[in-house]
Amino acid sequence: MIKRYNIIRKMRNQWIQILVEKYMMLLVLLLTCIIISIIKPVFLTPMNLTNVLRQVSMIGIIAVGMTFVILSAQLDLSVGSVAALVGALASGLQVRSNLSTSLGVMIPLILAVVIGLISGIITTKIKVHSFIVTLGMLSIARGFMLLYTGGRRIDILIPSFEYIGAGMIGPVPVPVIIYLSVIIVAAYTLSKTRFGRYVYAVGGNAEATRLSGISVDKIRIIVMSISSFTAGLSGIILSARISAADPAMAEGWELNAIAAVIIGGTSLFGGQGGIGKTVIGTLFLGVLTTGLNLMGVSPYYQMLLIGILIVVAVVIDRLKRRLLM
Amino acid sequence: MKKGANKDTELLELSKSIVTNRILINKIKQGLQKYGIIIIFFFVFLIISISTPHFLTKRNIINILRQVSMVGIIGCGMTFVILLAEIDLSVGSMASLVGVIAAFLQVVKGANTFIAITFAIIVTFTFGIVMGLIITKVKVHSFVVTLGVLSIAKAVALIISKGHPISGLERPFRFIGGGMAGPIPIPFILFIMIAILSYLILTFTIFGKYIFAIGGNIETSRLSGIPVDRTKILVFGISGLMAGISGIILAARINSGQSIAGEGLLFEAITAVVIGGTSLFGGVGSIGGTVIGVFLLGIIRNGLNLIGVSPFWQKVFNGALILLVVVLDRMRRRIRVY
Repeated sequence: MIKRYNIIRKMRNQWIQILVEKYMMLLVLLLTCIIISIIKPVFLTPMNLTNVLRQVSMIGIIAVGMTFVILSAQLDLSVGSVAALVGALASGLQVRSNLSTSLGVMIPLILAVVIGLISGIITTKIKVHSFIVTLGMLSIARGFMLLYTGGRRIDILIPSFEYIGAGMIGPVPVPVIIYLSVIIVAAYTLSKTRFGRYVYAVGGNAEATRLSGISVDKIRIIVMSISSFTAGLSGIILSARISAADPAMAEGWELNAIAAVIIGGTSLFGGQGGIGKTVIGTLFLGVLTTGLNLMGVSPYYQMLLIGILIVVAVVIDRLKRRLLM
Repeated sequence: MKKGANKDTELLELSKSIVTNRILINKIKQGLQKYGIIIIFFFVFLIISISTPHFLTKRNIINILRQVSMVGIIGCGMTFVILLAEIDLSVGSMASLVGVIAAFLQVVKGANTFIAITFAIIVTFTFGIVMGLIITKVKVHSFVVTLGVLSIAKAVALIISKGHPISGLERPFRFIGGGMAGPIPIPFILFIMIAILSYLILTFTIFGKYIFAIGGNIETSRLSGIPVDRTKILVFGISGLMAGISGIILAARINSGQSIAGEGLLFEAITAVVIGGTSLFGGVGSIGGTVIGVFLLGIIRNGLNLIGVSPFWQKVFNGALILLVVVLDRMRRRIRVY
C-alpha cells in the first residue's frame, strides 16, 4: 500500500519536473516581457513588437538550422560567415552581374548547401568534431566574402530584392513569414518524418543508431547542409533588409544562434530538445536585447550577457540531465 | 628429410626478411612523421627566400621572430590543452583583454608597469581556472564553455576600452614588445624560455605524464587514480596564463590596448600546434613540434605578406590550412594504429 503510494507520488513528482522543464523557459520569457513593458511601456506598441519579430527572424532562422545540428550532437560555427557570403553574393549577382532576383537568391543558396555538404563530409569522413571543421569553414567563407566584395560595401537598391527584407504581407513583415514557414517545416520534419527521428537517434546514441542500420554519416551530412541553408536564407534577408552587403555583416551570429538553441533547452549532448524550445529561446534573446536597447544599455554589455547566458545554460542543461536521469 | 629442413629454414628466412622489411618501412614512416615537418620547413624557407629578396634581411627576420613569439607562447599553452583532447577557443580574446586591462591600468589609472602587467595576467589566469572548473565539474566539452568565455572576455575588453584603443604606454612596458637583448628581440627570448619550461614540464614532471595519460585514455587515467579534474583545471589555467603573456607582448608591440588586437591568434595557435604533430584526439604531441609548427606558419605568413597576397586570401588560406591539418592529423593517427 505504502509502496504504491510512493510510486504514485514519485510519478507525480516526475510529472511536475517534466512540466517545469517544458514550460520554464516560456514562463521566463513572459516574465521578461512583463518586466520590460513595465519599465519601458514603448515595448508593447505594435510597431515595436513587429520590429522585434522582424529582428528576431534572422537569428531565429539560423537557430532553427542550428537546432538540427545540436540535436545530432554537432556544432556549426560557420553560420555567420556563410550568411555573410550568401548575402554578399546575392547582392553582387544582382548589382554587378544583373541577374534577376530569383536567380540571384537561388544560386547563393545552392552554394550555402554545398558548403554545408563539404563541412559535413569532412566531419564524418575523418571523424573529428564538427566545431574544428566549421571553425576552418568560418574563416574560408568570410575570406571569400571579403574577396568577392573587395572589402567594400555593395549597395543594392532593387525593389524586388528589398521586398524580402522590408516588405509586408498585411500587417506581417515578410521576414517573419519566412521565419514562420521555416519553423513549421522544421518542426514537421523533426517530429513527423523518419529523418527527424533519425536526427534524434544520432544525437542520443550514435553507436546504437549505426548498429540499427541507419547511416549516421548521411544524417549528419544532411543536417550540416540544412544548417548552412538556413544560414544562407538569413543572410539574404539581412542584406535585403539593410539594402547592402557589408563586409562585417553577421559577424558573431553563430554565438547568438547557439545561445538561442541552448537557452531554449536543447541539450548540447544531443538527442534532446526541439524547434519549439529554440523558438522560445530566440524570442527570449530578442526580447532581452530589445529591452536592453530601449533602456540604453551598450551593446558591449549585451555581448557580455550572451556569453554568460551560454555558460549558465550549459551548466543548467547538465544539472537538469543529472536530476532527470 | 633434409629437403624439409631446408624448406623450414627458407621459410624462416623469408618471414624474417618480411619482418625486417616491415620494421624498416615502419621506421621510415615514423621518421617521416617525426621529421617530415622539418623537411617541409626548409623547403618552404627555400622557396620564400628565392621568391622575394626582402625575406632574408635582418629587419624582416627580427620581425618574424617577434611575430612568431606571440603565436608561440599561446601555442605552448594550447599544446597542453590539445594534449588533453580539449580545446581553448578563448585565447584570442583573452590576449586582447589582457592588453586592454594592462593599458587601462597604466594609462588611465597610472599604475606602474609591473603592477599593471601582473594584475592583467592574474585576471586571465583566473579566467582559465574558472573555465577549467566549469569544464570538469559540469562535464561538458570545452569548446562551448570557451566559446562563451570568448564572448565574455571580448565584451569585457570592449566595455573597459569603450571600443577605442588605449594608447600611450610607458617605456618599460613597450620594451617588452619592442626591446632587444643584443641582436635578439625580447619577445623571442620570452618565447624560448616558455617553450623550454613547457618542454621540461611535459617531459620530466608527473604533471606532464598525467597530461599525456589523460589525453590518451581518460577513463583509464581516472581509474588509476590520476587527479584528472585537477590536472585539467590547471592546464586551462596555464592556457589562460600563456594567452595573458602573449597579450602583454602584443599590447607592448602596438603600444596600446585594443579590444580586437588578438583576434587572429586563436587560428594560428591551433593550426601551429596541430601542424607540429600534436593530435586533436589527445595524448600525442610535443612542444618541439609546436615550436617548429609556429615557425613554419610564421614564415609562410610572412612570405605571403612580402609577396603581396591580399589579407582576404590569407583568411581563406587560414581556414583551408586548419581543414588540411585536421585531415593530415587523422591520417597520421591511422598509420599509428598499427
